[in-house]
Amino acid sequence: MMNASPDSQPTPIDVRGLVYERRDERVFGPLDFTVEARTIALVEGDNGSGKTTLLRVIAGLLRASAGEARVFGSAPGSDEARAGTASLGHLLGLKGDLTPRENLHLGMGLYGCKPGEDPDAMLCRVGLEGFGDEPVRTLSAGQKKRTALARLALLPARLWLLDEPYANLDRHGIALVNDLLAVHAAAGGAALVTSHGAVSFHQGVACTIRLTP
Amino acid sequence: MNAIKLWYHKLGSPPYFYVFAGYIQPWLWTIAAVLAVAGLYGGLVLAPADYQQGDAFRIIFVHVPAAWMSLFIYGVMAVSAFIAVIWRPKMAEVLAMESAPIGAAFTLIALVTGSLWGRPTWGTYWTWDARLTSELVLLFIYLGVIGLYHAFEDPRQGARAASFLAMVGAVNLPIVHYSVVWWNTLHQGTTVRYFGPSSIAPSMLWPLLAMTIAAKFYYGASLMQRSRVSLLSLERGKDWVADIVRGEPTHG
Amino acid sequence: MAAAFRAMLQRDLLLAWRRRGDALLPVLYAVMVATLFPFALGPEHTLLARISGGVVLVTVLLSMLLSLDAVFRGDLEDGALEYLVLAPQPLALLVAARMLAYWLVTALPLIAVAPLLAYMLGLEGPAQPVLLLALLLATPLLALIGSVLTALTVGTRRSGMLLALMLLPLAVPIVIFAAGAVGAAQQGLPWVAPVAWLAAALALAVVLAPLACATALRIALDS
Repeated sequence: MMNASPDSQPTPIDVRGLVYERRDERVFGPLDFTVEARTIALVEGDNGSGKTTLLRVIAGLLRASAGEARVFGSAPGSDEARAGTASLGHLLGLKGDLTPRENLHLGMGLYGCKPGEDPDAMLCRVGLEGFGDEPVRTLSAGQKKRTALARLALLPARLWLLDEPYANLDRHGIALVNDLLAVHAAAGGAALVTSHGAVSFHQGVACTIRLTP
Repeated sequence: MNAIKLWYHKLGSPPYFYVFAGYIQPWLWTIAAVLAVAGLYGGLVLAPADYQQGDAFRIIFVHVPAAWMSLFIYGVMAVSAFIAVIWRPKMAEVLAMESAPIGAAFTLIALVTGSLWGRPTWGTYWTWDARLTSELVLLFIYLGVIGLYHAFEDPRQGARAASFLAMVGAVNLPIVHYSVVWWNTLHQGTTVRYFGPSSIAPSMLWPLLAMTIAAKFYYGASLMQRSRVSLLSLERGKDWVADIVRGEPTHG
Repeated sequence: MAAAFRAMLQRDLLLAWRRRGDALLPVLYAVMVATLFPFALGPEHTLLARISGGVVLVTVLLSMLLSLDAVFRGDLEDGALEYLVLAPQPLALLVAARMLAYWLVTALPLIAVAPLLAYMLGLEGPAQPVLLLALLLATPLLALIGSVLTALTVGTRRSGMLLALMLLPLAVPIVIFAAGAVGAAQQGLPWVAPVAWLAAALALAVVLAPLACATALRIALDS
């Protein structure tokens, strides 16, 4: 990631002096970092250090108290920023009464679909073959997570904001996340990933942002 | 123009507002009290009894200012709410949210005095008169704003949500009034003339004006006091509040 | 954009279909409330006939009020609401799809059962179609206005009573005009004017309410 990317696309994440305060108490910051294309950035910190809050600020769900964040050159939450971003939060946003396949189709209807991807093939890829038509609420926590990962990988977004993607996953699941991240980065994508540090992370991480409470 | 802008920005800063409000507050209280005493003396003692209603009409010296204030405060609240939603300054949120209980109180006073006046005049405490009904709906809107504000854990978020509701209510108020008037004529209900200030003797007019202005100043004073308390609570983590708590002389 | 609207509508209709028993509850509630009136007031035909239109309208309003509270609650609890807000689509469009689905699932059954309730209370003749027309205009209006208020309460824990307090003042003109139209038709008076007002208000609400609802959702989620 040292060499400047030749394409003139704006930087996925550019953060300058970013501060977030909740009820006048500082949650994190001031932070300065950039996440270039083809890069995976890891946000590390203990519980309560503001990892989730940072992701929500960059997604545009929360408004920064000071400083500036730019997502693809635009303000977080703007049309341009949202068009290139996909998130995975603590709450997966899956509808329990729908099947994984229906949830994937819903995600594609709202976010669009990466060309050449197919929901059924993606379900197999994340290890959910045979579960495509079960209601999501009957699946285990790990299987729900895999469904959400399948949805994420289908979307055309170039920036991923992943909040604790390794939670609830077994060893194979962790390998799957690393695999999806590697493919995403190789295809020119960028990702901001939080972790409380308990998981050994794969070697594709280009930079680490450490949050201290 | 620049001086006004500067003043606006200065007042927008909580510590400055706190000092400013503390400084003008006694003056507002004093003016309100003097005007209210004069207005009440003029209205209850000096003004002659009405040849039709006797002494019952004297309640207008409380009722009419309260009814006017209930709308005036809603207007102030809606404007600060609009500013709070669009530009999010903390002071606009505070002013909008601290206006709501005062406005609700004036609305309640207008309702109670209106029905007290209705008893000797109409023979009943309550009729579904267009103005009384509109006033009742206004009270509900105020209560909704106050309720929504307190339903959030984060007071600033609650203030923004309640401000938005106040804006929706501002759009709704004229519609309510129009529809209630229409409803009233449709059901050919009470055609009793409400207090029409069409012809009013000067001996009644000046106490009424004095009471109206007194109510405005009371609102101002009460708003300043409430806002100061609210600011102390909202900004409790800040240094300037800590200075005040330690008793250092920030207060003017 | 049309695809997103369709996906959202399809999602909500599918979810409602998977829980189709729930759609019956507001209808049952309305039937129960309307049945209580004769017991409270006595079975005298002229009295019941005179209040029938208003009773049915208020009953429908209360049923909708009960179900409105849940409009965004499910999506808030499983996190789907955030994915809707973050989707690269106009949030107002998704909200509009949500409210259309809500109206189809909740209000249409109520409208279907309303003439029956009105008839049982003694509403007859030309007032029946006017009641239907008034309901067809008033229920989407209530759903749209209710969606804005429900969005505002999304960030609060207990919202049922609060929603009632917030919605009732806004519902006053709707009830007045809808019941006024039915009452006028019962007396053989012209009823077009109040219905036209309802239609005008609905046209305005269809445009403005989804935008207001989207703003309200953003306010309620930003903590």
